Amino acid sequence: MLDILIYGAVISAVYALLAVGFTLIFGVARILNLAHGAFYALGAYCVYTLTSNLHVPLIIAAIIAVLLVALFGIAMERVLVRPLRRLPPLAVLMMTLAVGLMVEQILLLIFGSEARNVPSLVESSFNFGGVLLSGQRLLAFFCSVAILGGLWLFMQHTRLGAAILAVSQDPEGARYMGIPSDRIFSIVMGLSAAIAAAAGVLVAPFQSVIPGMGLLPLVKAFAIVIVGGLGSIPGSIVGALLLGYTETIVAFKASIEWSQIVSVAAVLIVLIIRPAGFFGKRAAF
Amino acid sequence: MLAWGSLSKTDVIGAIIVIALLATVPFVGSRYIVGIMTVALCYAIWATSWDFMSGLTGRENFGHALFIGTGAYTAGFLNVSFGLNPWWGFPAAAIVAVLFSLVIGIPTLRLRGPYFALAMLSGAVVMQKLSIIFSETTGGQDGLNGLSPMLRSQVSAYYFTLAALVVTVVILKLIALSPWGTILRAIRGDEATCQAAGINVNFYKISALMISAAFAGFGGALYANYQLQVGPDLFDVALSINIIIMVYVGGMGSIYGPVGGALLLIGLTEGLRSFSEYRLWVYTLVLILILFFIPSGVIAPVWVRVRSWIKSRSAIFSRSAGA
Repeated sequence: MLDILIYGAVISAVYALLAVGFTLIFGVARILNLAHGAFYALGAYCVYTLTSNLHVPLIIAAIIAVLLVALFGIAMERVLVRPLRRLPPLAVLMMTLAVGLMVEQILLLIFGSEARNVPSLVESSFNFGGVLLSGQRLLAFFCSVAILGGLWLFMQHTRLGAAILAVSQDPEGARYMGIPSDRIFSIVMGLSAAIAAAAGVLVAPFQSVIPGMGLLPLVKAFAIVIVGGLGSIPGSIVGALLLGYTETIVAFKASIEWSQIVSVAAVLIVLIIRPAGFFGKRAAF
Repeated sequence: MLAWGSLSKTDVIGAIIVIALLATVPFVGSRYIVGIMTVALCYAIWATSWDFMSGLTGRENFGHALFIGTGAYTAGFLNVSFGLNPWWGFPAAAIVAVLFSLVIGIPTLRLRGPYFALAMLSGAVVMQKLSIIFSETTGGQDGLNGLSPMLRSQVSAYYFTLAALVVTVVILKLIALSPWGTILRAIRGDEATCQAAGINVNFYKISALMISAAFAGFGGALYANYQLQVGPDLFDVALSINIIIMVYVGGMGSIYGPVGGALLLIGLTEGLRSFSEYRLWVYTLVLILILFFIPSGVIAPVWVRVRSWIKSRSAIFSRSAGA
């Protein structure tokens, strides 16, 4: 029972991190970003290269990786996505998809298909009432919560955060108020990429780092965001908790294979029963 | 969006030339090339059926592999587990795929937003995982093997696939050109207005999906009967995405464009074999360039240009002949 509680919390926190970035860029720019999984994978590989090839200390490597991926996200938005904005929405969707595939191929060319190891920041393990938890998982949990908290403070208490919220509520109205929505789109893409990269960096030590590692998290992020309500940040956190715990319970009680179905099956059920998700706005339909 | 307009004599002649060229493949190509081309024709059927629903109504389907896979597995079960004649697989595959399209289409097609796309994607993933979990009946990762061949020679299988493709394109194109197709395109343009005009948009969207699923399932059975093997890759996200890319390169909403897109991209992947490990990288690079510089696609827009060029030439010719 306790092991479900603890492992579920770690998984949920990482899922929340992935889903929040995904829902943020959808809520603000209406971009369904299929390159989101690629940001996650890039984060993990950046840390791997920086630590094992360039021997940068792990903490600094993690920060550099997150910044680099954020820059990559901004560059993608500026160069490849923005010119397609006036075309039908499928054009942007296909472009993010193509970028995602491209990143995977480049990673495959540089690093090959075998799994890479990233060292843990915290080597020791902790014992919680008989449940052994590695320090890196604990760190992943606390960092995720801290990042989500930081994001909340940023959105609620800064001018830039207010501008982002304004654009997500009404892009046209925000433009009339003098908010440069194009620049906001870039910033949000960078932010969302940075959060995804942070998730990649945090899980890299206990996940296999392979070029295709971004696909499953992308599907999970989809699922969480649908369950929670597209475009809603609190919704995606609740969705992450729900799916994280359901998956952990199924994994413990049934098998790992069945746990992989949970998220996708949840999507189907939610779409049939309450398509707006838990926190989605009904007005969106 | 380009207006594809109605079918002209030039279109029919162009189509006949393409079919004739495809029909000569077994005479000029090696066994290997005929094999690749048969697979390419299956992809063409899948891509056209995707285009019928998603290209016309503008509702992107990110899990077309769901229909392909269920069709292929249906054909596989009937043949391997029940020992039925392979020909029964085709209608059965189409029917099962249509049932799946109803399960997903009815709840999600009434919604706006990306919900239909995502539900299709998850539906395909669920089926893929289920096919691995219930490995006693589905064969797990290895899938179902040893389907009894429907046609003896490879060349006759090629011609059968080509004929199936031609029939598929003709039927779908005729529906797309009919008033029915006009309503589907109107839904893409402005769904609310269609609804205000008293059109039952959900009925049209769902039946378009059913037709699309029927042909995709049929194509899946065709593929299964050619490969004599069915596996979980047929539910793969990569397959669904490949099909969308083919339609996109071919030209959305044109029905015939995706056929060209499928042939072009399969040709490209084969042609890039010399790049060995850089192959998929070059492929995605080409894709990004196409998306960036010619976002309305390649095949259909090029054909529209060629057609208007032929028209203008023939107009000049007939005028000078009449003078």
